Amino acid sequence: MAMDKTEDLRQRKAKIELGGGEKRIADQHNKGKLTARERISLLFDEGTFVEIDAFVKHRCVNFGMEKVDSPGEGVITGYGQVDGRLVYAYAQDFTVVGGSLGEMHAKKICKIQDMALRMGAPIVGLNDSGGARIQEGVDALSGYGHIFYRNTISSGVIPQITAIMGPCAGGAVYSPAITDFIFMVDKTSQMFITGPQVIKTVTGEEVTAEALGGGMTHNRTSGVAHFLSPNDETCIAEIRRLLSFLPSNNMETAPVFASEDDINKVISELDEIIPESPNKPYDMKKLIEMIADGGDFFEVQPYFAANMITGFIRINGQSVGIIANQPRVLAGCLDINASDKAGRFIRTCDCYNIPILNIVDVPGFLPGTSQEHGGIIRHGAKMLYAYSEATVPKITLIVRKAYGGAYIGMCNKELGADMVFAWPSAEIAVMGPEGAANIIFRKEISDSDDPQATRVELVENYKKEFATPYKAAERGYVDDIIEPSVTRPRLADALNMLASKRETRPPKKHGNIPL
Amino acid sequence: MIKKYNITVNGASYEVEVEEVKEGAVTAAPRAAAPAPAPRPAAPKTAPKPVEKPATPVAAPAGATTVEAPMPGNIWKVEVKEGQSVKEGQVLIILEAMKMENEIMAPADGVVAAIHVSEGSSVNGGDILVSLK
Repeated sequence: MAMDKTEDLRQRKAKIELGGGEKRIADQHNKGKLTARERISLLFDEGTFVEIDAFVKHRCVNFGMEKVDSPGEGVITGYGQVDGRLVYAYAQDFTVVGGSLGEMHAKKICKIQDMALRMGAPIVGLNDSGGARIQEGVDALSGYGHIFYRNTISSGVIPQITAIMGPCAGGAVYSPAITDFIFMVDKTSQMFITGPQVIKTVTGEEVTAEALGGGMTHNRTSGVAHFLSPNDETCIAEIRRLLSFLPSNNMETAPVFASEDDINKVISELDEIIPESPNKPYDMKKLIEMIADGGDFFEVQPYFAANMITGFIRINGQSVGIIANQPRVLAGCLDINASDKAGRFIRTCDCYNIPILNIVDVPGFLPGTSQEHGGIIRHGAKMLYAYSEATVPKITLIVRKAYGGAYIGMCNKELGADMVFAWPSAEIAVMGPEGAANIIFRKEISDSDDPQATRVELVENYKKEFATPYKAAERGYVDDIIEPSVTRPRLADALNMLASKRETRPPKKHGNIPL
Repeated sequence: MIKKYNITVNGASYEVEVEEVKEGAVTAAPRAAAPAPAPRPAAPKTAPKPVEKPATPVAAPAGATTVEAPMPGNIWKVEVKEGQSVKEGQVLIILEAMKMENEIMAPADGVVAAIHVSEGSSVNGGDILVSLK
C-alpha cells in the first residue's frame, strides 16, 4: 500500500515535469528555444534547484477551462544556488497553455517573490508567455497587479533580473520594466504593449513583431532592455555573470573575487591613449578595460545611447560601476537618452552598494531643438539628481574635456564626488576656448586692427591658462592631478580608503526625482 | 476543394476560384469554411502625405542602406569613393561636430553606392551622407 502511494507520487511528478508534453516540447525546440525546465537547470548550479508548488492547478471553470489540465500551471518556481549563493527563480512554461498567466500561475510567482524578499536573495524571472489567460478574466489582471506591486516593493532591496525568452505582450511587459535588468534573446523574444495586429487595425501602420518589439529594437532604440543574447544558453550564462557583480540584497556588498591582476600595475599605455589633438576621438572602452582587473568589462546597455558607457568592472576584486563618456559616439555629448541611461545606472549602483567610477571626457550637452523640445532639461536633471542622491563611494576621473553644465553633470566635487582625479590632459572650464574667448575678449577682438589674428592669439592664451586641470585644482575642486600610468593603483587605493564611507540624508518618504 | 468567390475591384466584378492546399495527408475533421472577410473600408481619399524631408543632393538608390548624420556638423573628410567596397566599421566620413572629428562608420559590409555630401558642406542631424549596397 505504502509503495503504491509512493509510486503514485512519482507518476504525478513525472507528469508535471513533462509540462505540455513531448510534442509541444519539440515545437519549443524547433523555434530555437529551450524549455522552462532546461532553462532553470542551466541557471542554477547543478543539482541545487528545489521546486515549489509543482502541484498547483488553476481554478477556472469558464469557457471549458475545467477540462483543461495545466501541469505546473504554466510556470516553474523555486530556489537554488548560483555560484553557491541563494537565488530564487520562476520560469514560464510556454508548452503549458502557452505559458498564459491566470490566478494560480500568478500566485506561484508571488509566493517566490515574497520568499526572495523575506530571505534577501535575488530573483530571476524567465518570461515566455502568451499573456493573460483570457478565460480567467479579471482574475488574470489581478494576478499581474499582485506581481507588479511586489516588483516595486522589492525594488532596491533585492536584485530583480528578468529575461524575455519568448513573447511578452500587453500588461505582462510591466513586471520586467519595474525590475533592475532586462535580458532579451535575439529573434525569439518580443515585448510590446500593443502588437502588430492591433496597430494595423487602429492606425493602419504595418510593422513586424520583430521590428516593433524585438531584442535589438529594445536594446538599441527604446532602451527598455539592457542585454541582447544570441540564444537561450548565452542569455542564462550572462545572467549568472551579472549576478556575480551584485550583492544578494541592499544590506550587503557585492562578493569579492580575488584577482591575480596586480593592483600596483603601472600602465604606460594610458599615457598614450588621449590623442594629441583635442578634436580626435578615441575608444573609451579600451581605457576602461586597461584599468579593470583582468581587462574584464561587463557592459550594461551596450547598444543604447552609446555616447554614454555604463557597466561593471572589478578593481582589486571589488565590483565597481562605470559611467563614462564615449568620444567616438556623438562626440561623447550628453543627450536625453544618455542622461536617462546614466541616471538609471547610478541609482542601480547606489541601491546595491556598488561604488561608482565616473570617467569624464564630455564636450557638453548636444545642442538642437529636438533635444530641447524632448525635455533635455528634465532628463539631464535625472543625472544630477541621481549623483547627488547617491551615498556610495563616488570617484570622478577627468581624462580630457569637462566643460560647463556637463562637467557638473558627470559628478564633480560639489555633487558629492569623494575623490576627483584629473589627468594632465584635462580641460576643466566653463566653456570651450573659442566660445569663451569670443565672449570675454569681444571688445579687444572688435577693437583690434587685425581681429582674426587677435582672436587666434587670445584663444591660444585662454587655452594655456584655463583649459587645464590646474585652475580647478587650485580651488580644491580636483583633489589630485595624476599621471595616467598610475591610474589603476590610485583608484584601487581610493576605493580602499572609501570602503568605510557613511553618509546620511534627512529622513523623508522618498525624494522627488524629475521623471 | 475549390471555392468560388465574386470579387469586385473598382466596380468591375471578377469571378475567382481558390483551391485550398492541405498540409499533410491526415487532417482533423474538415473545418467549416471560414467566413469571407468583411469588406475593408476604402482608403481615405485625402490620405495625409508623409512629411517631406529636406531634399538631399542625390536621392538614395532603392534598396540601399543609408548612413545618416547623427548630429549637425560639417563634413571634414570623405574617406571613401563611389563603387568602393567597405567593411563593417570602416570609416566613411569624418563629421566635424561639437569640436570633434566624429568618425562615421559603415554599419555593414557593402559597396558605396553614392556619396551625398562633399567636403566642407554642412549637414543637419538625420541627413543622408552615404548609401551602401
